[in-house]
Amino acid sequence: MSFAVSMQQISKRYGTVQALDNVTFEVEAGTIHALVGENGAGKTTLMKALYGAMIPDSGTTSLNGNPIKFQNSADAINQGIGMVSQHYGIIGELTNFENLVLGSEGAAVLNKSTMSERADRLASSMGFEFNWNTESSTLSPAGGQKLEILKLLWRKSRIMILDEPTAMLSPQDADALYDSLKQLASNGATIIVVTHRITEVFEHCKRVTVLRGGVKVADHEVTNVTPSQLAEEIVGGEVIQRPKPVSLAKNSVRLSIENLSVKGEKGDSAVKHVGLQVKTGQLVGIAGVDGNGQRELFHALIGVAKPTSGMFSFDGNQWDTETSQTRILEGLRVIPEDRHEEGIIEEWSLFENSALGLQRLPAFSNLSKSTREEAPVMAEMFGTKHGGLDNEIGSLSGGNQQRFVAGRALRINPQMILAFQPARGLDLNSTTKVYQEIRRACNDGACAIVVSFDLDELLDFCDRIVVMCHGELSEPRPEEARDRAAIGKLMVGAG
Amino acid sequence: MVSFLLQVITMSSPLLLMAMAGYASERSGVINIGLEGKMLTACFVCAAFAPQFGAIGGVLMAILAGIIISLLHWTLTQIYRIDHIISGMAINLLASGATSFLDGSGFGKGTLSDAQRLPLPFYYGIALVSPVIWYVVANRTRFGLRHKSVGSDPDKARLLGINPQQVRFSALIFTGLFAGLAGSLLVSETSTFTKDMTSGRGYIALAALILGGWRPIPAALSCLLFGLATAVQIQLSGKPLFGLDIPSEIWKMLPYIVTLLALAGLLGRNRTPAGLGKH
Amino acid sequence: MKLKVLVLFVCSIIAIIVSLLIVKANVFQAITTIFTGSLGDARKLSGTIKEMTPLLILGSAVYLALKAGLFNIGAEGQYTIGACFASLAMIAIGGPVGIIVGCVVGVVCGALWALPAGLIKAYRNGHEVITTIMLNAIAWNLTKALVSGPFKGKDQPASSTSVMPATSQLTPLFKIGELEIPQSFVVGLACVLVLAYWLKKTIAGYELKATGANATAAKFAGVKTKQVTIKAMLMSGGLSGLAGALQVAQFEHRFYDGFSTGYGFDALGVALLSSSNPYYLIISSFFFGVLNKGGTALAILGIDKGITTVILAAVILMFAAIRYSKKEVTNG
Repeated sequence: MSFAVSMQQISKRYGTVQALDNVTFEVEAGTIHALVGENGAGKTTLMKALYGAMIPDSGTTSLNGNPIKFQNSADAINQGIGMVSQHYGIIGELTNFENLVLGSEGAAVLNKSTMSERADRLASSMGFEFNWNTESSTLSPAGGQKLEILKLLWRKSRIMILDEPTAMLSPQDADALYDSLKQLASNGATIIVVTHRITEVFEHCKRVTVLRGGVKVADHEVTNVTPSQLAEEIVGGEVIQRPKPVSLAKNSVRLSIENLSVKGEKGDSAVKHVGLQVKTGQLVGIAGVDGNGQRELFHALIGVAKPTSGMFSFDGNQWDTETSQTRILEGLRVIPEDRHEEGIIEEWSLFENSALGLQRLPAFSNLSKSTREEAPVMAEMFGTKHGGLDNEIGSLSGGNQQRFVAGRALRINPQMILAFQPARGLDLNSTTKVYQEIRRACNDGACAIVVSFDLDELLDFCDRIVVMCHGELSEPRPEEARDRAAIGKLMVGAG
Repeated sequence: MVSFLLQVITMSSPLLLMAMAGYASERSGVINIGLEGKMLTACFVCAAFAPQFGAIGGVLMAILAGIIISLLHWTLTQIYRIDHIISGMAINLLASGATSFLDGSGFGKGTLSDAQRLPLPFYYGIALVSPVIWYVVANRTRFGLRHKSVGSDPDKARLLGINPQQVRFSALIFTGLFAGLAGSLLVSETSTFTKDMTSGRGYIALAALILGGWRPIPAALSCLLFGLATAVQIQLSGKPLFGLDIPSEIWKMLPYIVTLLALAGLLGRNRTPAGLGKH
Repeated sequence: MKLKVLVLFVCSIIAIIVSLLIVKANVFQAITTIFTGSLGDARKLSGTIKEMTPLLILGSAVYLALKAGLFNIGAEGQYTIGACFASLAMIAIGGPVGIIVGCVVGVVCGALWALPAGLIKAYRNGHEVITTIMLNAIAWNLTKALVSGPFKGKDQPASSTSVMPATSQLTPLFKIGELEIPQSFVVGLACVLVLAYWLKKTIAGYELKATGANATAAKFAGVKTKQVTIKAMLMSGGLSGLAGALQVAQFEHRFYDGFSTGYGFDALGVALLSSSNPYYLIISSFFFGVLNKGGTALAILGIDKGITTVILAAVILMFAAIRYSKKEVTNG
């Protein structure tokens, strides 16, 4: 039987990193096939090769038995391969119609009436509905995902690659998405889903391939494997026993958020009347699907976004009226979501970056001296691998940048720790170390709020979990405080 | 009244052409501070070549020069990846220096006779029609759509198999074309080349483009607004206003002040294409 | 990367040589004249230093703005406004007091002239390149009108203020034979050194550099970026205004229509060439001084000064190409 997709012995090296090592990947036509693995396992890299966005060092690829060699994405698209990337490819400034047809316009002059007709037909065949003339910036994440699928259909893609398609979707929207995918598969399309969510694999996919460290570790029919087996294959060997979080929280409230509302990018109310009290020594995790207001809340607490109503205070200081600078002086420390945009200055050395965020603290009053002293300690904390602290931080890998940023945040007397996806780019051991350090600071009296889209991570490390859904904050009942199912319901708004 | 309207068109036309030149470049993601230099080069080339090549020849040479300089800007920003603003300023310097150098050494001197200039209404017609043409191109053609996509998000466009550098190459050819026309127009109006004769029109055209949110029709309206301001300045120049003798310089400042106020009170949302300056 | 830079270098050289050949100039003679005309003897060297002096201060002004992520194309206008109003103060008050007051006036006026651009950038995100270019044009017209009208000196025929009496003028710091070192030259050097120190050692300097390098990261780091932007423009404008005031006090002794010969634009080149290290401002100002002074000598050969502007543009592009090709390497 010839597979719809057959990739044989694909290898790719980036500098010193072997991203893919002799990987074989075969997919049957008309099925939904899962490609799983941790961050950095090589899933996206392998799919880039299939999509023509990357040329492998060695190996062959065939479609339906015919060997092919892609020079670029245009070649792949012409062969009927379509990819929906993690941060999807909808261009906000263009209209829905323009986004749909971009790249496959069909003719030099656009015949809007016939094209709109076809668009409507495709949309209704999937049960979708779109206003073609509105700007795509108004789409919700679920809407964007639907448009992406329509894009694939517009191009008559027969092989569809979806990279973490449910990352930004609520469990409901995710199920709806898979229903659409099943429909497509039953019509003969071949669907590859790259994911790290095991539940989805077992609920919706036929086969699963596991990558770990650039190597193909396993390949099963989903019915022939158990979730725990799969988890072990993904993580490899013993998972570090994460100690159950022990809370030494005292009863005094340090951070008090009352009735806080914040506007989102699109002018909507992203955070709605949120109230939260965090006690001394408490490590609070905010769970929820991305896009439910966590980011806006985070930004308001830091001071880069202004709330529209409500207030919050720390140690009695009215933080909502104070500048970020003052909050930092009063103990605010941040591990931001996007280190590249928000946390570091790529062209600067590690020395220079060590003061970023801390430059007004007394500890840094003599800038040159303090950066020389503190930078090595910050780097050491989580084992940042670097070629010298004088080097540009941009030369470090993403994970090492994250280690440095985390070290910097936790080094100088943290009192109120705000971390957004602190484990991003980090392996399991580093993640554990970072959380342990946050825990240590909390035991010394600080308090912390961590936002993560990985519920399991929060369950492992936080003493208290709250949920944000559609801008509102809720908390599971005490008896269900660590109940995955109960929290999941709150995440969807069904609790 | 008619003569006033005519004056508005006269004042606006170079701006309209340059704003279209700017649109072609900026909407595709290439910041273009160098409009001034491109226009100036075209002025000089037209004046230098029209005597020998005739009216049409002069304009064609000006267009060719505009395209060459435009592609220089493309090379610097897309191949060498130099900061777009530095590239634009350098091109302005280059044009200013080179044209005054050659002009001061005897090239491009002298006045153009009627036979060596195309009739001005030709230019005015193109100036008024081109925003409409651009509007249609932007919204109804494949090129226009890809042009916009590359200016809004070159990375996402790349994923769809579109080559931003290639699209920008074509875009900057259009920039050169319009700059060539604008420069020829200016020289045909005055019949002779003088140093730095563009006097900031390139910048005003860019301001009009920004005011118009990088869209052809609103940008064109902004050009007409600025043309109106200049026409008013000419009408009132030398005439006492409310019994006060106002020096001509105060009127000359009007377009610049209007631009400044407009930029300061910029209403509505920021429509800067998200991919401006991105590779 | 290196190949591309080499290609650019070769093309620039060819372009310059071809331009000179087109006007039937002797290329070798032209190039050597630029150097002999600027460095040939003590008097010419003094002339070069005279050209260099305002560029030291203006270069510092533009460099500071550049580090804050701002292109202050308006140095020209700020310089002009500063000079215009400073000249009045210096003429009216006279003596050393007049000069000091004049300098203060120059700083204040220059800063105020940069303020609109700073505010529009901070609060409206209006690009400072356009706003400062507009302000330049307004400055040019305004000062022309002022100096032809209310500011016109009684004994002056054309658009000019009166001339400062000799006792009020800034004398050269010292004179060895024909070599003159102006006092304002020392001020210029001081500006560069103070700027370099301020940027490297102070927290305010750190925050300014952070804002220029990555405004978002700076915000997350508690930097008040809007304030930094406005302050940077004010400081840049103030320095430019100071340069104008000193130019009046030391060299021109009056203000007139056509006072500014483009130093503000040269300053952009000076700053760009020094982008990695403020101390280089001294070297690049000198380089520009050589080109300016040497350029005037070309007139004797019948070559228009414009060729030096072309050389300037080529050098700026060369440096930019080298800097951006280095960036490519680190970003991989």
